[in-house]
Amino acid sequence: MLTENQNPSLNHKPGHIKHDGHNMTGFIIFLCSESIIFFAFFVGYSVLKISAPVWYPEGINGIDLKMPLINTVILVSSSFVIYFAEKYLHKKNLWGFRIIWFITMLMGSYFVYGQYVEWSELSFSLQSGAFGGMFYLLTGFHGLHVITGILLMGLMLLRSFLPDNYKGGEMGVESVSLFWHFVDVIWILLFGLIYLWQ
Amino acid sequence: MTIVNYDPRLVKSKNPYPKGPNDWKRFFSFNTDAKVIGIQYIVTALFFLLIGGLLAMLIRGELITPPSDLFDPTVYNGLYTMHGTIMLFLFLFPILSGLTNLLVPPMIGAPDMAFPKLNALAFWLVPVFSIILLLSFFVPGGPASSGWWSYPPISIQNPLGKMINGEMLWIIAISLSGISSIIGAVNFVTTIIRMRAPGMGFFKMPIFIWTVLAAQLLQLLGLPALTGGAIMLFFDLTFGTSFFRIEGGGDPVLFQHFFWFYSHPAVYVMVLPVFGIFSELFPVYSRKPLFGYKFVAVASFGITILSLVVWVHHMFYTGTPMWMRNLFMFTTMLIAVPTGVKVFAWIATLWGGNIRLTTPMLFCLGGLFNFIFGGITGVMLATVPVDIHVGNTYFVVAHFHYIIFNTIAFGIFAAIYHWFPKFTGKMFYEGLGKVHFALTFIGATLNWLPLHWAGLLGMPRRVASYDPEFAIWNVLASIGAFILGVASIPFILNMVSSWVRGKSAPPNPWKAIGLEWLLPSPPPHENFEEDIPTVLNEPYCYGLDKPFVEDEQFYIEKSLKKH
Amino acid sequence: MNTKIRRIKKRGFSKTFIIIIAVILNITFSLLMGYWSYSWLPIQASEAAHYVDNLFAFETTIGTFIFLGCTGTMAWILVFNRAPKYDESNGEPLEGNLKLEIIWTIVPLLLVLGISTYSTSVNYKLENLGSKVKYDYGAEAPFIEEKKVFDYGPIDVISRQWNWEFVYPNGIHSSELHLPVDKKSNFRLITEDVIHSFYVPAFRLKQDIIPGSIITYSLTPTKKGVFRLRDAMFSGAYFSENQTNVIVESEEIFYKWIKETVKKELQNGLNPAGSLYQKRLRNGNRGWATVKPAPDPKVNDAGIESRPHDS
Ligand code: HEA
Ligand code: HEA
Ligand code: CUA
Ligand SMILES: [Cu+2]
Repeated sequence: MLTENQNPSLNHKPGHIKHDGHNMTGFIIFLCSESIIFFAFFVGYSVLKISAPVWYPEGINGIDLKMPLINTVILVSSSFVIYFAEKYLHKKNLWGFRIIWFITMLMGSYFVYGQYVEWSELSFSLQSGAFGGMFYLLTGFHGLHVITGILLMGLMLLRSFLPDNYKGGEMGVESVSLFWHFVDVIWILLFGLIYLWQ
Repeated sequence: MTIVNYDPRLVKSKNPYPKGPNDWKRFFSFNTDAKVIGIQYIVTALFFLLIGGLLAMLIRGELITPPSDLFDPTVYNGLYTMHGTIMLFLFLFPILSGLTNLLVPPMIGAPDMAFPKLNALAFWLVPVFSIILLLSFFVPGGPASSGWWSYPPISIQNPLGKMINGEMLWIIAISLSGISSIIGAVNFVTTIIRMRAPGMGFFKMPIFIWTVLAAQLLQLLGLPALTGGAIMLFFDLTFGTSFFRIEGGGDPVLFQHFFWFYSHPAVYVMVLPVFGIFSELFPVYSRKPLFGYKFVAVASFGITILSLVVWVHHMFYTGTPMWMRNLFMFTTMLIAVPTGVKVFAWIATLWGGNIRLTTPMLFCLGGLFNFIFGGITGVMLATVPVDIHVGNTYFVVAHFHYIIFNTIAFGIFAAIYHWFPKFTGKMFYEGLGKVHFALTFIGATLNWLPLHWAGLLGMPRRVASYDPEFAIWNVLASIGAFILGVASIPFILNMVSSWVRGKSAPPNPWKAIGLEWLLPSPPPHENFEEDIPTVLNEPYCYGLDKPFVEDEQFYIEKSLKKH
Repeated sequence: MNTKIRRIKKRGFSKTFIIIIAVILNITFSLLMGYWSYSWLPIQASEAAHYVDNLFAFETTIGTFIFLGCTGTMAWILVFNRAPKYDESNGEPLEGNLKLEIIWTIVPLLLVLGISTYSTSVNYKLENLGSKVKYDYGAEAPFIEEKKVFDYGPIDVISRQWNWEFVYPNGIHSSELHLPVDKKSNFRLITEDVIHSFYVPAFRLKQDIIPGSIITYSLTPTKKGVFRLRDAMFSGAYFSENQTNVIVESEEIFYKWIKETVKKELQNGLNPAGSLYQKRLRNGNRGWATVKPAPDPKVNDAGIESRPHDS
């Protein structure tokens, strides 16, 4: 490409460094930083739980596992599904990519729906002591990330219909997919913390 | 992952702002040029220095006599809270971002930041959250008044019970400031990692770049913790949750951990770039290579890593168990080691040099002098038994102003003077600069030295009134503070009149080595444009007969040509 | 190069000589500073004070030595290494020196190790802090069995926005803290609203009081007199008024005070914030928002508002 010296009248080489775009670097740095917020919440949850004289609000002994477990399975498998979508894109199979990508979006949406159903069936609220606050804060904050992920995927899906969209690389798709894996890993930690550690 | 070849010419904006570098209107637009953004940051920040300084004058006015006679105590509390907040989040962080924006691309030979649009966004968030913060003076009940720590439960008491209150606006402003800093940090780190000129390996980077990298990594690691804490505080204040509220089983001390996990490293975010400035300026004005370049460079990361594990030294008396106090006392003191490596390296750089006492050099020397003092009182604070006595007294206030004003602000002034000719293309008036230095040094010493004794005798901080035995120290301090207020006059005069009608500056007025000094003053929009130099050595080879870049003569001649 | 320094360089002997003189002067002055540092602190009125002051003097000595060592060198350079006007030549191009780097890494490391070992040992000698137990808010603060022995107590120290109240084991309430001299007294630190801090500068001791937790604390006063007790953790509008006195008296007088106070009726205790707030209301309630001060505490011994204090 443009890495050669295009101005032969100069007697020195205006050198260039060869490397891929900065967007991915920036995005990875951002995700590392983002994970610290979750980390802070997780630590907060653990500290409050360990030191609290009473943890669950009155009348509650724990949370039901069934619904969240289904959700977990869906979200975790969607992380594999998105991988195949990316594979199709690399192989320039655009329709394959679009379909699988859309399936990932559906799985993500189901997760949000499941979360909504779970929330609406709970008998405690945001104001129900430290536990109530922590529960809604963690699941809510994660839920926001899932929704963001779905919206970003939708954006990428639309853009895949633009002609020549992938000429400059597949940065967008790669980033969103990375984000999705991130959301997934966070959920696994969160699930362990809130639901399994009761 | 696809590999895209990077070529600096690609970064070149398609439509550069039409009227070229002499158009002042670009400073009021969403401009994506790092140099414009840098100046936007610096001027905005200096404006807030004046506001924060004005509040400081009011504080010192109140404290010149023992009773609380000038203001109601509630007003005093609001004033010092806003003073601390404005100084840190509206003055110090923005001005450092400004210097970083100005200096990083030219110093590493990059045309601009990696993400110019994000860069502009990060800047324009500053006026947004500044206005939110300043508006809080006018909401019913007044601004936030629980200190810049905003510890619960005091910060979530909300006496008027209104949904919109000073504390709420404070949290919003701080969170936006955090977002702005994160965007900035992602940008700076990416730029430094990816956009260095050919030949500039890590161990050929200027020390300023090292310190920026170390500081910005700290932002990335620490700020989210504060943001997490701020979100929880916001919920407690506004939605009645109980993360920190004891009524629902929350824990107020938990917030302190969130807060200091970030806010301790934050002090190194502030001081590290100033270490970088010292390391750049001492070699120039003593005409010697930086002593022990590699050690100075690596010491920055020593500080970064250690600073993540010392935060409990702000909480020695909160009921922290013995083992934790001893552990954190030790880690805190360890920071003296890498810091000492830097301090000794600077002194060795001066040793046997050919010292020129220009204004920037005077500010550097003054800053170093004060830093050694403030660092030593820091180590005293780190020893638990002493901290238990002087913690939360004026000894702490004196310690941190010795660093935050008497070192960091000095370093910033030094940097402003040193690089002023480069980025404005004008020389400043040396005489006024020296007056500024003399007044600042005298004022700062008179202001902060006496307050150490007030603290040792047991005068708590954050008080609107105090017992008469502390009066003498406070009178001295207030006089010093007023001298500092006067000191701002020669500075403003100098900056404004030099920029408007100063002598025009040559490309390298200080005969310094560094990529930025190979550029014309002021540098063109894309710095080196097509001819990125290839770096051969680190930029401190005074008298060493080592070439700095390939074909240096070409760049010198090019910089002398008027564009 | 400056002629003076060149002359010194020629005679290597005088250079070492100057360094030795400088170090001796520095050590002397640092020791003097350490000695003076005792006078910068309030009266030593508790067992802890003496340990803290010694540690502080030790640090002052070391700190002065380092500070003067560094700044003295800087001063020397400023006097002897100034560039003459228009001289823009380079200095000696020293790039570094591994031996020096190692020395100035190891020496501070050793110093820091020394200081922290010393202060850790002081920490173990003091051991004022007992246990910290969280309890369900709203419930009565639980009773905590102390492992350590003490001579008197436990006294409940109750801090509020913004007054202090002390409840003695026999049930008397007081606005000032009376303590027997040379006896180890034990406290239960309790707050009903926000974080406060129990700070007596003459004792060199400070301990935050955390809502939702009960903290036990003990200390031994060693000097008779009246000392200020100041809230040292910002607690809101009238924070600066949240002070009272600690009155350390002989055991005899202390027990006499206890006996006489039991007989007294409950009355309104010290509450300077309360009266300031009333004044503010009278003046039209100007200023920024504040929570209302807690009502006057009901105490047997109301204390004296402006009792002169020793420190
Ligand atoms: C902004 C910059 C900044 C910097 C760089 C520092 C640097 C240090 N600070 Fe400071 N500090 C603050 C800003 C800063 N601080 C602020 C803002 C607060 C109060 C916040 C608030 O409460 O509102 C504070 C409060 C604070 C406390 C809490 C006090 C309390 O609230 O009770 C402590 C306690 O340990 C402390 C310690 C230190 C130490 C050990 C260093 C070390 O990094 C210093 C290291 C440097 C040196 C030691 C000098 C050079 C070294 C040598 C010459 C080598 C030889 C030296 C020895 C062997 C000793 N600081
Ligand atoms: C960067 C940080 C910073 C800076 C620079 C300062 C500067 C000053 N501070 Fe500040 N201070 C804090 C950060 C800072 N402070 C913090 C964090 C707190 C703790 C708050 C808390 O407890 O919550 C605090 C607390 C604090 C207190 C304690 C209040 C209390 O505990 O009750 C006092 C009291 O004396 C004080 C005074 C001063 C004074 C006199 C200055 C002077 O140095 C100011 C001098 C400056 C000027 C007078 C303006 C000069 C202007 C220029 C040179 C600019 C030129 C402008 C243009 C060209 C546009 N400060
Ligand atoms: Cu930008 Cu490489
Ligand atoms: Cu700190």
